[in-house]
Amino acid sequence: MELTYEPRIVGFLCNWCSYAGADLAGTSRTNYPANIRIIRVPCSGRVDPLFIVKAFQLGADGVLVAGCHPGDCHYSDGNYHTRRRVGLLRPFLDYLGLDKARLRLEWVSASEGKRFSEVVSSFTDTLIKMGPRSS
Amino acid sequence: MNRIIVDNNLRSWLKELAEKYTLVAPVTSDGVTLFKHVKGSQVDSLDLQYSNTAVSPKGCFFPLSETMFSIGSDGVNVIAPVSTDREVVIFGIHPCDAAGIALIDRVFLAEPTDTHYKEKRDRTILIGLACNAPSPECFCPSVGGGPANPMYLDILLTQTSAGYIVQATTGKGKELTPAARMEEKDIPLPPPPHVTPVPLEGVSEMMRRNFDSPYWDRVADRCLHCNICSYVCPCCYCFDIRDYMGKDKIDRVRSWESCQSAGFTMIAGGHDPRPTKGARLRQRWYHKLLYFPELFGDIKCTGCGRCVRSCPVNIDIREIITDVQKLNV
Amino acid sequence: MIETIRNKAKEWLEKNDGGCVIGYERASDGMTARPVFIYKPYMVGSLIFDETCVHNLSKYLLNRRGLKTAIVVKPCDSRGINLLINEHQLDRESIYVIGVVCPGMKDAHFGRIEDRPLSKCRVCLHHTPAVYDVLVGEPQPETASRDYSDVARIEGISIHERNAFWKEQFERCIRCYGCRQVCAGCYCQECFVDELDPLWVGIRSGPEDNWIWNIGRAFHLSARCIGCGECERVCPVGIPLMLANRKLEKESADLFDFEPGMDAGTAPPFATFLKEETLEKVE
Repeated sequence: MELTYEPRIVGFLCNWCSYAGADLAGTSRTNYPANIRIIRVPCSGRVDPLFIVKAFQLGADGVLVAGCHPGDCHYSDGNYHTRRRVGLLRPFLDYLGLDKARLRLEWVSASEGKRFSEVVSSFTDTLIKMGPRSS
Repeated sequence: MNRIIVDNNLRSWLKELAEKYTLVAPVTSDGVTLFKHVKGSQVDSLDLQYSNTAVSPKGCFFPLSETMFSIGSDGVNVIAPVSTDREVVIFGIHPCDAAGIALIDRVFLAEPTDTHYKEKRDRTILIGLACNAPSPECFCPSVGGGPANPMYLDILLTQTSAGYIVQATTGKGKELTPAARMEEKDIPLPPPPHVTPVPLEGVSEMMRRNFDSPYWDRVADRCLHCNICSYVCPCCYCFDIRDYMGKDKIDRVRSWESCQSAGFTMIAGGHDPRPTKGARLRQRWYHKLLYFPELFGDIKCTGCGRCVRSCPVNIDIREIITDVQKLNV
Repeated sequence: MIETIRNKAKEWLEKNDGGCVIGYERASDGMTARPVFIYKPYMVGSLIFDETCVHNLSKYLLNRRGLKTAIVVKPCDSRGINLLINEHQLDRESIYVIGVVCPGMKDAHFGRIEDRPLSKCRVCLHHTPAVYDVLVGEPQPETASRDYSDVARIEGISIHERNAFWKEQFERCIRCYGCRQVCAGCYCQECFVDELDPLWVGIRSGPEDNWIWNIGRAFHLSARCIGCGECERVCPVGIPLMLANRKLEKESADLFDFEPGMDAGTAPPFATFLKEETLEKVE
């Protein structure tokens, strides 16, 4: 029997947009891979880089941070801060030997159920192609 | 007459030991010398002229972190850590580090015995290497040791131009000595290298009298309260215990901890009996120079010089000892 | 030079009763320097300044918050003062800064002074303090070209090699937290490794725990590290921490056009943002 590799993705979704987007994907019966484990956060700005590093330490193959589109943040500017943090964390993790493709930042609004499904599908595909983490 | 082993034979013996035992020896990589597990193939590249390792070998018995036991997900089933019967040979340990282990023995092997420590201690053989290049900050003879002191070791090797003189001091050591690889030669033990002494007379008594001296706060001014001094020390043995939740079990983990860190004496409710930098710094010196001698008779220091060398802000135990002797009561 | 420092320190102490001058004195090895705290004007004679004054003294200002303090700083250390004022940790009024134009430090360790510059000094850009009340020495021009060849070397190897390299480096970490304690930017009341609930990292040491500690430490200093190199200098097991810090320094300069500690007013990158930025570099 051939075992297929199923990557594990930890998804930090903002309560106001992306989590609602994921909900919409569900209620509108849009398929998306079950590889993602969702953690609801009040805002993508709540995602401390440590959460991301900790997820990787505990064995995540990929981490998705998703929030409202720029300008749409419920708290007006949380996602701008996230953008800066993740923007710096990605090259840094890459430098330490953890491929930056394993960390994604995406904007998914509450009306973008389909987009959420696409994001998770394409991320899962990327991770399958990359194979399991060597570290 | 002394028994001599030449370098070639020594290395082939070590290779043989690496087969049968877990061999631990000083290894230099990235410019840092540390005691590490070595394979037979690495024996030829071992540097036997090293000055003291960056961190003492106490971790072989009292690891930086060790799981004491685990509890299964049912919350009842206790899982003992996996232990191995394989014996360990620590090769190339300097007499000061062996003395450090002997100091920790007094605490961890006293009743009630620390079983995790004893288990590792019992299956370890210490093959020492007399120190032929003491650092300027070393002062082992002042604390009862010496660069070629065979005490606390199973076997001591002393380098001479003709090879290494082998002295087996314990039963374990005598059993292990490779008779076939040695030869009897009329070569005397070389005189031990000079080590600058630090006069220790009356230091414990002066410590007892000067607990409240403002001196401690003045030294603490520059102390950073990192744990470097206690972590590199061959005879500091404080630890802390935490429970770590795993996927299917909870591990109870014991790790090194130091009296210098801010949370060390913090107790439930937030009270800290040693709240200031001065009080924390003072504790380390009092433990070494007063409390330990009161309990066990000897100063808790082997004169290895590591804390002197590693301290980022030059808090020097030799200077502390000299200063304390001069303090006005 | 040293006479000027001593005179300024003495003058200041005479005017500021109860104040303290933080500077350098000769260490117990008789050749290198160590920090000294001077409370009385007659004690200024022990102050020294030479190529072995490697320590960044600005960390000590955190122990003297609100107290009148004079401090001897090199250009890199002076950025620590700006950083701490910018982050509302210090009050500029209570500090008297004796800035020293830096000739570059030697790679000095206890009992031994190597005949080569300290690694941070090889890539140093600013030779005149960024903040001072009195300047000792003639202002020197800045070095214009940045040298990130050390970072580029790591960037140049494959991701697997990078992974193996850092794993090997972090594996020897003994978690003494010397790097944290010496760092002017590390002043959290409770560090994330000391937190018990949740137990992020805790006291356990091991390859994975060391990995998260070292990444966490470096990233908390991203766009904040002033490049004083103290963490790397104090590390008892020689982990090249500046190699990690400097990657973040380089990236934050590229992404945010920001250099920490150059003044006490510019908002740090993680406290501000630009609406139109994308932060994805073309690859």
